[in-house]
Amino acid sequence: MVLLSFLNPFSEEAEQIVREKSSLEELFNKNKDLIDIIAHTNSQNISNDELIPHTLAELAVKRLEWFVRKKNDKKYDHNDYSFLMNPDMAIYDIISFYIAAQSIGIRFNPNSRESRVFIESQGQLVQERLEKLSTSLRKEVVAKLLNQLIPLDNISWTSLGELFGSRKINLTDLIIDQGEVILDKEDFIYRFSDKIIGRVPEKMYDILIGDQIKELIINRMIMQNTENYLLKVHEMASNIEAHPSLIVIADEISKMLKERTSIFSGSGDIQASKLVGEAFPPCIKNTIDGVSSGNRNDAIVLLLTSFISYARLYPSVFKNETNLKISDLDKGLKITNNEILPVIYEAAGRCTPPLFEDDPQEKLNITAKLGFGVHRVPDLNNEGESKWYTPMSCEKIKIHLPVLCKPDKDCKKISNPLSYYNRRKWIMNQSPDSKSPEEKDKSTKKED
Amino acid sequence: MFEAASLEERKRYYREEWKVDDLPEFITEELNKREFGFDHLGKGPNDRYKIFKNKDQLRKFLRYRSPFAAYCSVAFYNKPWKRGDWQKSELVFDVDAKDLPVRSCNCEGVCEICLNEALLIVKDILDTLKGDLGLKNIHVIYSGRGYHIRVLDPEIMQFDSDVRAQVLKYVSGAENPKNKYFLGPEQGQKPYELEHFTIPLGYPSVFTSRMKYVILHLTGEESIENVNPRLLKDVIKNRHLLEEDQWGLFKNKIGPIRYKKLVEGISKLNMGLIDAKVSIDLKRILRLPSSLHSKVSMRCMEVQNLEKFDPIKKAVPKFVLERKEV
Repeated sequence: MVLLSFLNPFSEEAEQIVREKSSLEELFNKNKDLIDIIAHTNSQNISNDELIPHTLAELAVKRLEWFVRKKNDKKYDHNDYSFLMNPDMAIYDIISFYIAAQSIGIRFNPNSRESRVFIESQGQLVQERLEKLSTSLRKEVVAKLLNQLIPLDNISWTSLGELFGSRKINLTDLIIDQGEVILDKEDFIYRFSDKIIGRVPEKMYDILIGDQIKELIINRMIMQNTENYLLKVHEMASNIEAHPSLIVIADEISKMLKERTSIFSGSGDIQASKLVGEAFPPCIKNTIDGVSSGNRNDAIVLLLTSFISYARLYPSVFKNETNLKISDLDKGLKITNNEILPVIYEAAGRCTPPLFEDDPQEKLNITAKLGFGVHRVPDLNNEGESKWYTPMSCEKIKIHLPVLCKPDKDCKKISNPLSYYNRRKWIMNQSPDSKSPEEKDKSTKKED
Repeated sequence: MFEAASLEERKRYYREEWKVDDLPEFITEELNKREFGFDHLGKGPNDRYKIFKNKDQLRKFLRYRSPFAAYCSVAFYNKPWKRGDWQKSELVFDVDAKDLPVRSCNCEGVCEICLNEALLIVKDILDTLKGDLGLKNIHVIYSGRGYHIRVLDPEIMQFDSDVRAQVLKYVSGAENPKNKYFLGPEQGQKPYELEHFTIPLGYPSVFTSRMKYVILHLTGEESIENVNPRLLKDVIKNRHLLEEDQWGLFKNKIGPIRYKKLVEGISKLNMGLIDAKVSIDLKRILRLPSSLHSKVSMRCMEVQNLEKFDPIKKAVPKFVLERKEV
């Protein structure tokens, strides 16, 4: 059933298709069959030739372009990409999945924007492809996919640790009994029918588990497998010379993402501007005042570093939902070095005992949290070696740093310190008397 | 009772009362892979990165130094002297009687009442860890002011902080339970509304149990997010209905909108039942079982039988009893 491989590129069948039908030498060759399938896909826009990938390499790039545009482009038209939902494309789709995965894995770090967009796009594709199926076929496919991914009748929740760790799934979403995630209807009834009073156990199963939990697990497992595959390719790439075609495709993907994200990153209402200390939430003000040991390292490295960098460079990150790198916003790292790091380092110095006197290696961790790997200072050559951490949510702060969380009346309305900051800044800007120092400044002199 | 121990008393404890065999096996098994820390002056553990190759070295150290407090890491390292080459960590839940968000005693520090209440919470958590999550090799330690649940199940010892945070939320009932469910994956369908108390399994059932505990132990003095004094008063007035699990009636008395606020407030409050930082910290040091908690003059010890355990009978050192006699 090729349809299964269309959804799960890690099936044995999909791997066999790649082995038998793909050739690195043909990636840039015009593929008439591919074009024909796309041109005959229901509701596919064919008015513009650019909408149709002519080669497998172009198809690999299109998979990611679809995802980025769907997420951010107000002019996105689903019919531009209808072919991605067409099962007749399965063989080419599987090959293009591996082309994109290998290109990205070879060229970019597992935490890079390219990797993350690819993983998320695969999850979204699985979801939308399932939604296109009829109810009965969808049920059949889900059962078979689950069988492929989880060969045993039941799975232990601990075997899904990676999914919980990467927050792809919540433990509280699942029905767990004696350590096993309950997915099978008969098993559910056998275990719980005595407990269920006044309701039909079968119906309870449909409500609590049904196909929705199964689909969630399938989706997240495929995303996790994609992530693991990228990591494997990346590790192997350090020992094996990469095929030049894959490098070209990787650069095409990167170029496309850069172009697309630069178009969309400016579309948010919240513009980057100089830091306004008065608008910081209590937890950040408390951190800047200095933190004592016990909470000090997490406060500076995890909380402050991400908050200050996003507040200064990309305050609309949660609104835009677009992954950016620091260099997309601060090309020469001038703002990072002159405005962001000093705030973090000074706060570290106000801790008791001062952070870097006690733990000098934390400077490396700060650089890593900005997305520049484990190095003493941010350097463009190292960007992407680690992930640029988004600011911690209030919920996470309450777990990690409860002593810093002293909510004021405005905290009730938000769930992340960055949202607090944006909201406060907006309120301050409404009143002419309470203009930020930066704005007051603007009215008297020009910025250099 | 619960007064600080003097240096003389500490010396007496470690020289006359404490035996190296009091150390639980789960500590001594891989003793040389753990980091030890000590507080000699009662100002916090500043003598850290200690290692002991065997039980005898540790015995000599404790006998000679009689520390104010002794700790060992929940983590196992290949290089414990510099907390290097981390291998795995116990999963720990710290239920401190002093810090419970709901205590019916209102005492300043700890007393028999809040220690008993901490024990009730520990029993509930154990049921969830074993029954729902199927975890094994779980040890309960009386810490002197509460309880530590230490899980050494190999299945979970390599989990990172994020997974641990999820387990913490599950067992403490700190996630607001959803009340809207979809029958199938089809879009546009109306959701099924089911309150947590109508679902006798999974997380909703865990949440119901924790919520019941909290409501039945409220004093009316608590500050709960989203719950104003009037709602709190009404909750206390009608809580007798929960003793017989009349949740539907209880919700009716409170009203659906206020009930939603109550559920949200209690899910946030539940996070305080367990010290979250201890659970997510992979490199934490924790009070050493069998050592003396000098601030309260109680023995930190493993609890063998939770049903029969009474800290006042089992964990009071001899020197305290003799103090009484004087």
